[in-house]
Amino acid sequence: MERRLNAELWDKMHYLFRDFNDRMVHVELNYDFVPDIDALKTVIICALEKVPVLHSKFVDKKLSTHWEVMPYDIDDVLTVAYPENVKEAVDEFLTQYIAPDAHLQMKLALFIKDGKSTLCMVENHMCMDGGDLKYFLKAFCENYSDYVTNGKSPIEFRTGSRAYNEVYSGFSKTESNVAQRLFKNINSKDKHKFPLTPNHISDQSFIARRKFSEDTLAKLKVKGKEMGATVNEMLLASYFYSVYELAGFPASDKLMISSAIDLRRHMDSVDDKGFTNHTSWMQCAIPERGRDIFETVKYVVRSSNKFKKDKYMGLYGLPLLNLGYSIMPHAASEEIIKIGYSNPYMAMSNIGILKGTDFALAGNEPTDAFMSGAVKYKPFVLLTATTYKNVITLSMCVRGNAKDKEIVNKFFDLMEKNINTLIG
Amino acid sequence: MKDFIEYIETSCAGLPDNHVTYLFKKYILDEMTDRANEVTHSGLRDEKVLADLMADEYPDLPGQYKAWSKEYRKKKLAKTMRLVMGLGGVIFFISMFIAYFQVSRVTGAWDKTWLIIVGGIFAMIIFYTSFGIKRICRMRRIFHPIARVLIAGCVMLFTVFMFLFWLMMVPELVVWPILMGGIILMLVADIVFAYATKQKFRTVTAMAFMPVITTMLYIILAAYDVVGWLTGWPIILLGFLLDLIYIIFIAISNAKYFMYKREDEE
Repeated sequence: MERRLNAELWDKMHYLFRDFNDRMVHVELNYDFVPDIDALKTVIICALEKVPVLHSKFVDKKLSTHWEVMPYDIDDVLTVAYPENVKEAVDEFLTQYIAPDAHLQMKLALFIKDGKSTLCMVENHMCMDGGDLKYFLKAFCENYSDYVTNGKSPIEFRTGSRAYNEVYSGFSKTESNVAQRLFKNINSKDKHKFPLTPNHISDQSFIARRKFSEDTLAKLKVKGKEMGATVNEMLLASYFYSVYELAGFPASDKLMISSAIDLRRHMDSVDDKGFTNHTSWMQCAIPERGRDIFETVKYVVRSSNKFKKDKYMGLYGLPLLNLGYSIMPHAASEEIIKIGYSNPYMAMSNIGILKGTDFALAGNEPTDAFMSGAVKYKPFVLLTATTYKNVITLSMCVRGNAKDKEIVNKFFDLMEKNINTLIG
Repeated sequence: MKDFIEYIETSCAGLPDNHVTYLFKKYILDEMTDRANEVTHSGLRDEKVLADLMADEYPDLPGQYKAWSKEYRKKKLAKTMRLVMGLGGVIFFISMFIAYFQVSRVTGAWDKTWLIIVGGIFAMIIFYTSFGIKRICRMRRIFHPIARVLIAGCVMLFTVFMFLFWLMMVPELVVWPILMGGIILMLVADIVFAYATKQKFRTVTAMAFMPVITTMLYIILAAYDVVGWLTGWPIILLGFLLDLIYIIFIAISNAKYFMYKREDEE
């Protein structure tokens, strides 16, 4: 019997983002051991059964949209390989694209070499965002551990509503009514672009990364405390300063970088909610570059403080989007929303701390862990930050060429230089 | 299969031992078996995990039984109702003709008694359409405009009958304003439907209909000489006034929700 799931507001929004990115979220977990493959398969099947959107295809009928739950074979979900060059295999796997109308919206791979393994995952952002993916991975690893060590069936995955309006569940009735009337359309209006080369049909997806040592994070925290800034704000300030330098924007130019915010901050609990997207943008704007990076930090802190004071941070425009999607046929609403929506050219997403204990498989913590957002299409870019064992990893996923890779690496060099200036 | 039967029997231990419970258990077992086949086909080999996964998908069988048995009774009732309505329709139709011939024969008013046939047919149409409207209301909102059109149709049938009735019964009476009254009734019914089913743009609908309703009211009152044709026109303005009052009322009651300003904007 055909099983259908609602296409929720964020599913439709991320579907609309197909013009800006490939919508894939990437995960890489490195282990010093090889997990039990059969157990891994069992846990994956249970996870997919508990989160059916992950084995559904997105059906766009122009008038309306929905998810259709599809049959699958575990061997299509999990690839187990023994490559000579693990890094190459990981990169190739992570840069793959899953079409919305594919039968599976999540794929995993286990690359094994010399008694070590790398577990990779790609997932369609339409199904869930980084925040929920982190939770999903935690539940996945816990279920695996319980299954392998205690023989407990791996079925402890969160289920519930995926609707966008769950975001109001932590509000009082009056607050919820206020939030549901925030029709103001807040978009990034900045036209400054990250200086990548023009699009070309030969462009290929790549993930560029740069790690910052434990020592750097410790110093960033100390310096941030002195300046009244969070680590995220320090990174954002470095991002601003580095982009000014990289692109050669005049120092007097106003610049805006959108920063992803997790809307779950408005919810009391997510325990009874389904896996979905609850992410919005905070537009961080600075009036000028500043004489030095320290001044840039001050501008960033001032800008983000404005948002932090706002009780309804990130909730602007949601009612407008909901109205747009509910009063018109899907194809028409997409066209109308495209007119009012402007995707930020430069953005940052700090996925935050990845805890080793959360991703431990039967007591084996990952030696390294990494997550990143979607591959952006030029001229859009997204800088993703994750922290594992006090090491910050910055990454940028771009569909570009060798020159773009060079530019992104030069940007990381500048980030490194500016962070070093900041921490003295 | 054995695990599923055991789970169903244990979970349903407190349920009455009757045919409905048997049907429910059979239905759940079939569903569980189908789902288990699907999951096994996906590659799950561990029987214990499969049983736990299926049990997890049916966590509250007694609760599900309540809903299922309610639905089962509803379906049975609907089946009986369909039979009654079908038979009832035929009986009503025959009775209508018997009544027509009997009344016509006794009164000899063959020029008026045809209203019994027209009224009967209209009543049957309205009666059966109301079931259709109820069914449409349970469907997705996209189909609700059909229900609104059907309601308008029913109101107009009723109006036409009233018009014909008074035309036949009291020929000296000015009856055409009844049709204007029908329009008012149609618009009011649509507003009530829009609010009862929480339709989008119900406020806009009500505000758009208000001046039309007062215009019709003016025509009716003027036709029956309650107000003069030249002096009664301010009744039309009353519609716009009511709209204005409604807007103010909405603005006041929603003000607290729209007054929110971010601190940096203050």
